Order: sequence, then C-alpha cells, then structure tokens
Amino acid sequence: MKTPSLLAASLGLALLAGAASAANWTAGMTEGKVALKSAGPITFGPDGILFIADTKSAAIVAIATGDTKGGAGKAVKVDGINTKVAALLGTAADQILIADLAVNPASQTPYLAVTRGRGAGATPVLLRVKGDGSLEVVSLDKVKHARAELPDAPVEGVQGDGKKQSNPRQESITDLAFLEDRVLVAGLSNEEFSSTLRAIPFPFQKIANGTSVEIYHGAHGKFETRSPIRTFVPFMVGKEPQLLAAYTCTPLVQFPISELKPGAKIKGKTIAELGNRNRPLDMIVYKKDGKDWLLLANSARGVMKITTDDMVNAESITTPVPGIKGTKYETIEAWKGVEQLDKLDANHALVIRKGEGDALNLESLPLP
Amino acid sequence: MRWRPALAGLLFVWLGSAGSAADVNNSSPSFTAVFLRWVSVPKETNRLTVEVSGLSREALSALQAPEWPATNWPRVLAVFVEQTGTEPLSMLGEHRVESGLVRFVPAFPLEPGLRYRAVFDAGQLPGAPSTTAGKVTSILQIPVQREHSTTTVTQVYPSADVLPENLLKFYVHFSAPMSRGDIYEHIRLLNAANQPVDLPFLELAEELWSTDMLRLTLFIDPGRIKREVKPLEEIGPALVAGQRFTLLIGGNWKDANGHRMKRAFMKRFTVGPPDREPPDPQRWSYQAPPIRTREPLAIDLADPMDSALALRMIHVVDEAGRAVPGQPFLTDRERVWKFLPQHSWKAGHYSLIVETTIEDLAGNNIGKPFEVDLFDGVSKRLERKTVKLPFELR
Repeated sequence: MKTPSLLAASLGLALLAGAASAANWTAGMTEGKVALKSAGPITFGPDGILFIADTKSAAIVAIATGDTKGGAGKAVKVDGINTKVAALLGTAADQILIADLAVNPASQTPYLAVTRGRGAGATPVLLRVKGDGSLEVVSLDKVKHARAELPDAPVEGVQGDGKKQSNPRQESITDLAFLEDRVLVAGLSNEEFSSTLRAIPFPFQKIANGTSVEIYHGAHGKFETRSPIRTFVPFMVGKEPQLLAAYTCTPLVQFPISELKPGAKIKGKTIAELGNRNRPLDMIVYKKDGKDWLLLANSARGVMKITTDDMVNAESITTPVPGIKGTKYETIEAWKGVEQLDKLDANHALVIRKGEGDALNLESLPLP
Repeated sequence: MRWRPALAGLLFVWLGSAGSAADVNNSSPSFTAVFLRWVSVPKETNRLTVEVSGLSREALSALQAPEWPATNWPRVLAVFVEQTGTEPLSMLGEHRVESGLVRFVPAFPLEPGLRYRAVFDAGQLPGAPSTTAGKVTSILQIPVQREHSTTTVTQVYPSADVLPENLLKFYVHFSAPMSRGDIYEHIRLLNAANQPVDLPFLELAEELWSTDMLRLTLFIDPGRIKREVKPLEEIGPALVAGQRFTLLIGGNWKDANGHRMKRAFMKRFTVGPPDREPPDPQRWSYQAPPIRTREPLAIDLADPMDSALALRMIHVVDEAGRAVPGQPFLTDRERVWKFLPQHSWKAGHYSLIVETTIEDLAGNNIGKPFEVDLFDGVSKRLERKTVKLPFELR
C-alpha cells in the first residue's frame, strides 16, 4: 500500500544496512502453493516481496513475486478496472471487491488484492497490471513464500489444557507497511474498541503481541481515549522514524517507531484534526520542491495535502491548549472519489477512483 | 439446477491444406465436423468446461508442440462473460489437450444469471492457412437462482430497550451467512421522526464480520461520541439522551447465497444518559450453584455488558487456576452472566477471572473509562490485565 522508499532514502545509513542483508530476504521461505482464505491490505517490501494480510486466517503472507525489474515510470490508465477484473474472473462487476492497491517499487507494477464474490465462498485473487494496461493473475500455485500467524494474547491467571488460555479475538487487518526489516500491521478488533499495532521482524520469526497504542486527543488534550488506527504510513520526522496514523475518529497522530515494543503503551501526538465526514482511507508520503509532504485520501473530501513542516517541532500535548491547533493542509479538489492510493514513482501517485456510473478507474496522477 | 446451452456449436472446417494438388484435383474438398459444447463437471454444480471435438490428430499434436506458445490459446478457444458496454476479455482458465479433445477449464465457477459465450476459432489453429474459415460459438445462460428469502436478523445486541447516549456498538446476528460489500447501504439509524441520522456508524471497508459471516459488528462513529473532537462539535452526537431511535436493517440485503432477506428488521430503543462509569467487579454478586449438580453459576454484573466480550473475557478457574470447562451465556439483557459447567460442581475454592479489557455498552473498561480525563483520573488507572474474584462452593 505504501512504500518506504522515501523513508529509506532519508535514513541513509539504515538504507545501506538494509542493502547489505538484501540477499537474505527470501531466507526461510518455502516454495509451494499459497493458500489464502482472504486478501486484505497488501504492501511491498524489498526485492519484489509482497506482503498480504489474510484477515480470515489471522496471518501475514510474504510472497517473493520475482518481479524486480522494469518499470520506467510509465503513465497508467485503466478505465473500468472493476469490469475488466470481473470479465477476467468470469463474473459480474458487482461481485468484485478491490481490497487494496500497492505498487511494487522494484518494477513500478501495480498489484491489486481482489475478492471475487461477496458470500461465504468468496475467493481472494491477486492481480497485477502489466505495462500495456492488461491484467494478469499472480499465480500462487508455486511461489516462494513465508507466513506469520498473528497470535492471540494469553489470559493472565487462566490455565487451559496445560498451557495458558489464549484469547481468541477476531481481528480485521486495516493496514500494512514495511519498514527496514519489519512489517507493521494495524489490527482492528471485531469486538473490543481498540487497535493493535504489531511490528513483525522480517524474515519472519516469532511474532510479538501487538503494541497497544494510546493517544491524546485533539488540541484540547484533555481526554485520552483509545481508538482504532485506520491507516498509517512510516515517515521521518527530523532524524527519527515515526509512524503517522489516521484514526477512526479523524485525528492524525504521530508517534516514534522506536517505542513500538511488545506491551508498550505509547502516547502519540495529535498533529491535526481532520474534521467531520472525513474518514481516512490511505496515506502516502513524498518529496517535492525539497520538502516532505503527506497525501491523505479520505471518503468525503478531495485528497488532502499536508505539510510536514510542523511535525518536526510538534509538541507533545500534555496540557490543555485552548482552540484548535494543528498542522496545515490543503484540499486537492481535483482528486475526487479516490478509493485507493499508492505512490507510483517519485513524481506520480497511482489511484483507483470512481468514474462514470459504477466504473472504477486506475490512473496515475502527478503528485501535487 | 440445469445447464442449458442456448446454442449448439457445430462448424465445418475447410481443411484445404491437408491434401496435395493432385488430391484436390481428384476428390471433393475434405471437411471435418468440429463440435463445441459445454460439459458440466460431475458433482460440482456450477463448474463447467468447454470441449472441442472433431479436430484432426495433426491439429491436436500441433497444439501440444513446445513451439506453440500458451499465450496463443485464448485466440483459439476462449470463454467470455457477456456484459454490455465493456470490451470482451476472455475469462481466466486452463487449456488442455486430452482424450482427442481440446478442453477449456474456467478457473472459477460460472455465476447464476450471467451469459457466457465460448468461442472456438479454427483460423487460429497452428499452421492454419489464411483461407481456413470460421468461428464457432456457443452461448450458455446460467439460470437465475429462484429467490429463497429465508435469512433473518435473529438478534441485535445490546438487547435492552434503553441504551446509553455514548453507546459504542451494536452486534447484528443473522440466521445464515451474509454477503459482504456495501453493507452500510442496508443499515439506517432513524430518529424519532423516522428520519435517517446522517452517518452515525463507523463505515469500515473491512466490514467487521465474524469469520462465519453470521455476526456484524457495527461501531457508532467514535467522532460522534467522544468529547472535544471536531465531528461532535460540528454535527453533534449520533444518539441524543431522552429521544427514541430505531435501528433498521433493510430487507434488500443479500445473504451469502445472493438471496434477499426474508424481511427487514427494526430495533426500537430509547436513549438514556451517557455512561462514563467503568464497570466495577467489586459490585458484582454471585449466586452459588449447589454442588453435585450442573446448575449454572450466575453472576450479576450490576450493569449490562458488551455481549461478545462478556462471553469471551470472563473465565471460571479452580483453585489451581485451571479453566473449568463449560459454556457461558447471558440473560437479563446482558446483565447476568451464567456459566453451565460441563461436569457437576465439586466443593472447593474457585475464582472468576475477568479480563480488564471487557467493555460495558459505552466501551468503558474495568478501571478505565472510555475517556480518561488526563488531569483528574489518570493516576488511578488500573494496569492489571485481569481481576480475580474468588468464591467458594460447599
């Protein structure tokens, strides 16, 4: 969904460290058929490795796509991509749900996580868009892959059959990102009103419990609530890697990635309030005119372009502050109806947005 | 269900290149009958394949030759969904040459209500001369399923008639698995004047379903509940104390089999004052079941609790901390938690282990309200993950 390239470029030394271990990214992977029960958010790591959130299986699957070359930043325009996907999969367009869009930074190839059907027998399908705009199913029959199961938290003080009783929570995965050597996973419970944020080391080993993240609320700073994360993006603020997270109740919050440790409770900083009817959908970061910008797609307004200038100096809100304080943003009115957003290359974003009728169009747009 | 090919596909192919010049002079042109037909896969009701018979041995072996690129297959034999207004794109599937036939196996089942067109083009066969004529087409209309509207909403939690103004969620339970996608079109919160409340729910593309698709979790938009956030300041709360509301689940919602629901469902309720008090297990009381019976243990939770979490986050353990096997259930509008043991109760010391992340109807946790006033109650916050409530049976 979002690529860490800008972040990696800013990291400098960290980038070199990453490159040094590049040969090992597929270590521990096995070759064979990948069985997905569902396909939710997707994101790319290094060397064309694709991470797929299989919410129904409570697992993250890493796939070595082998798609590591090509991509000269060509313009992309596929009108009615939903009807084209439907035709390819032999069904009607209203039976196609596009869960996510991610661009492989190694080849600039767009990938789509799609579900065919809406009922219990719905089938997940992974597709990619070739240079000529045609669609291709990514075969999962014989592919190098690795899998990380998301564990249930144990219940203190209760012994099951000789082991700690686990708590079988049902969780939806709302977002994924890869950063340096970790997959960051935001989960939203079907029951508790809370979100977990997990940092899973990659190549996959043992998985830690999610980090519970607590945030202060708004410029007022008076009430602290827990609230699920909707979408997030790793980003550099000053010299420290930070996570910018958009919450379900619309504030935009930043917190340091270094604090993402199992069981930790983090106080995030609210840096902007996005207002009513503004459900955050997707975020990317990019550089333009020597500055870092944040682009946030949301359900109601045009895409929002947000300056990161103030984030460096954003103060932690620990005392009540009168009035609304927040980072400045500009609404890009021309980008209407954006449902999916990722970065195509240094100068372009790739979006899926509503066209005429029920059509969904895939198109590249110059970054604003 | 029966599958009826709307058109039988039959083609006479002119095999002009087959013979020598002398043959052409001495005999009539050689024709071969090529048949195209849909074949159902045994025991799989909505799986069909397309078969082409009558091709010459030479043609079949040319199709299996290594120099024949697989990318050429769709031009020889392909299946299309007939959709108006879109360019035809061939459906994904596998081409095989077996038992003297060319077979196309669609990668997915064919869908009721749609028309599929199979096209075989003899002119695209390897080595076919440009003079080779003809395409053969067979159209298959998959019949629309007869509507069986049997699925209903069986329960909505919380089941109480009076709900707090800061209610956090509903659980909608269905009698059969439902379909995903665009669900919020079918859900309305109506005010006392029967007018829909504008965007009262957190509309998540992920849709919070249970894995069996029988239960939907519906969060009230937290922006319409929490104090001092913009949405609440701009348009106010979704629920207002003292007023009546109706949760309406529309009957046009389709279940997992694509059938509309049997009927719409309405839950009418009155909104009471907000609940900002965290649940306090010290206020809970229990009714001890007699030993040597399987009578349920009953816990009065003092306030209604979130149904799903109460069933998941309260555990009965014996003196050694081992979980007592049994089945929890809720009564009295989710205020009373009961536990039916698998085996008869024995005399001894037991405990109730309650996870502090359990929620009441407003999302307050044990020791922590939904909203913490940072300058007042933060130091009193409970950090423990579980609360232990001992009890004895004798």
